[in-house]
Amino acid sequence: MEEQACPRCKTTKYRNPSLKLMVNVCGHTLCESCVDMLFLKGSGACPECMVPLRRNNFRVQLFEDPMVEKEVDIRRRILRDYNKREEDFATLEEYNDYLEEIEDIVYNLCNNIEIIETNKRIEAYKRDNREVIQRNKTRVGRDECALEELLELERVQDESRKKELEELETEHKKKKARDKQALIEELMYSGKDAATIVSEFAEKAEKQREEEKQLPPPKPANEFSTGIKFGQTADPTLLPVPKSEEGPIFIYEPLIPITEGPTPPPLAEVESMGYVSHIRPETPQENAGGFTSALACQRALQEAMQCLFYTPTTGIGVGL
Amino acid sequence: MYPQSSQKRSWTFANEAQLHAFRVEQNTKYIEEHRSEAPSQDNLENYFLTPAEESLLLKQYEIYLVEFCRRFEPTMPKCVIGTAFHYFKRFYLNNTPMDYHPKEILATCVFVACKVEEFNVSINQFVNNIKGDRNKATDIVLSNELLLIGQLNYYLTIHNPFRPIEGFLIDIKTRSNMQNPERLRPQIDSFIDSTFFTDACLLHTPSQIGLAAVLHAASKEQENLDSYVTDLLFVSAREKLPGLIDAVRKIRMLVKNYQQPDREKVKAIEKKLDKCRNQNNNPDSELYKERLRRLYTDEDDLPAEDGSFHIADVSSDASAMNISQ
Repeated sequence: MEEQACPRCKTTKYRNPSLKLMVNVCGHTLCESCVDMLFLKGSGACPECMVPLRRNNFRVQLFEDPMVEKEVDIRRRILRDYNKREEDFATLEEYNDYLEEIEDIVYNLCNNIEIIETNKRIEAYKRDNREVIQRNKTRVGRDECALEELLELERVQDESRKKELEELETEHKKKKARDKQALIEELMYSGKDAATIVSEFAEKAEKQREEEKQLPPPKPANEFSTGIKFGQTADPTLLPVPKSEEGPIFIYEPLIPITEGPTPPPLAEVESMGYVSHIRPETPQENAGGFTSALACQRALQEAMQCLFYTPTTGIGVGL
Repeated sequence: MYPQSSQKRSWTFANEAQLHAFRVEQNTKYIEEHRSEAPSQDNLENYFLTPAEESLLLKQYEIYLVEFCRRFEPTMPKCVIGTAFHYFKRFYLNNTPMDYHPKEILATCVFVACKVEEFNVSINQFVNNIKGDRNKATDIVLSNELLLIGQLNYYLTIHNPFRPIEGFLIDIKTRSNMQNPERLRPQIDSFIDSTFFTDACLLHTPSQIGLAAVLHAASKEQENLDSYVTDLLFVSAREKLPGLIDAVRKIRMLVKNYQQPDREKVKAIEKKLDKCRNQNNNPDSELYKERLRRLYTDEDDLPAEDGSFHIADVSSDASAMNISQ
């Protein structure tokens, strides 16, 4: 920020880092003091491009690049009118076309291409869609209100909680002081035994601590601090979750392997009947992968038995 | 597993006559299409291959296939060879060798079989085993790959008889009291190798072929395993026994009746093939190169049609891939 200098009084920027740059509609920047000087003299024109200006058109610059600032400004102005949403369009393509038109307009205005043409387009659009724009403006208003209400609610709750805590603190302190006082008075004026007096007071203190534990709940806020009641509370965009259709429940049916041949031995028999002894044991790598020699043995036996009884009939068409 | 496999459903046939019918059909179809290319219309047989010549040719190339696989670096497992054979046979049920030269399909079959059986070789490693122009071989194999898979109707899982044989050996060792069944192995291996030259894999189930191999080896060793078969295997289904005996007998007949093709005859057939083959698919022909060129260049980039621009022909000899010795 320190590198940017005001184009008029160049040196002043470095001397005063807190000095702000103001920017106006033509996109050129001026530091605050230069702005004052410009309007002191009564004339109102940008020193770079000689565009006539008004004092209140100057805004504090948010972005370093004046072009960006200009574009942001134009965009805000345009979007105030081009405020249709996706729901207003029938197809996604139409919405995309609309968005593209907005971009075209902003680009044109930003780079000074066909300004008159573009402005005419804007005017035409505003005329055609006057009702829609109005409706959307109020709708935006409503959304913002809802957000504000929520924020207000939170703030009020926070405040009330803080207040209560404070009150509790002061109460507590006062009580303590009073109890102390009472104890001392008793000790001084009463005729009872000192020890009994002290124990009485201790019991009382215990009881009071029990009562303190129950705090009253905070009062729910239903109005703004200014007294205006909350308007809409139900958010129309939240619908109850629709109940999804569930299909029939899955019932497990065990797989029955088809062997058109003699039945191969099941896995347990493979080990017990000694088939496994005729093949090599599995390597540690294979065992880590979950393979055992019994599985390999069983697979070989299964494949040997499969389709021994089968005789091919006239084959179906080749490769079908 | 095999009972639910596509191999059983679509690629196993009842008898040899059916297979023969398929092959003849393909042959006649090709001849019909390319009738106009023959020099004289009345003696087509002298120009085009007959089905008998085609089968002789294919037999020779099957021998080449085994040789190629045996010499392959790194050592190729047996199941890859089996799968490659299956693909080769199936492909030529639906196509004629005149359309696609067996040399090219052979290499493609082996390559796809390597992939399917998870014996990973890169294409470069693969063509290192092929004599001749390596780049051309690479192009041929890669461009034919999709064609091959398509012609197999994308059914790539093959059930070979190797695992059933292992199963039978384990069973014999466990349940029957035969002495040292391991001595059967060499005979079994040679029998299985012979079955691959026949059409047995298209007509019978892998377990039947395996059993035939075991029984054949046993008879060679003067052992009798019939009691094993009848008592232990078929104890619950005696009525199916004749069917199996028939199948085993047929397989053994197929292997016995196999004859190696005559080298001279095959050479003559190859010469004939060079003339009558489909030039569209011949990577050495001008037609093919032209087609590829058209495929890969834009319309604007095509050279002038009047032949003023000449593209040099790089391939010196017609047979780029010398797989045969």
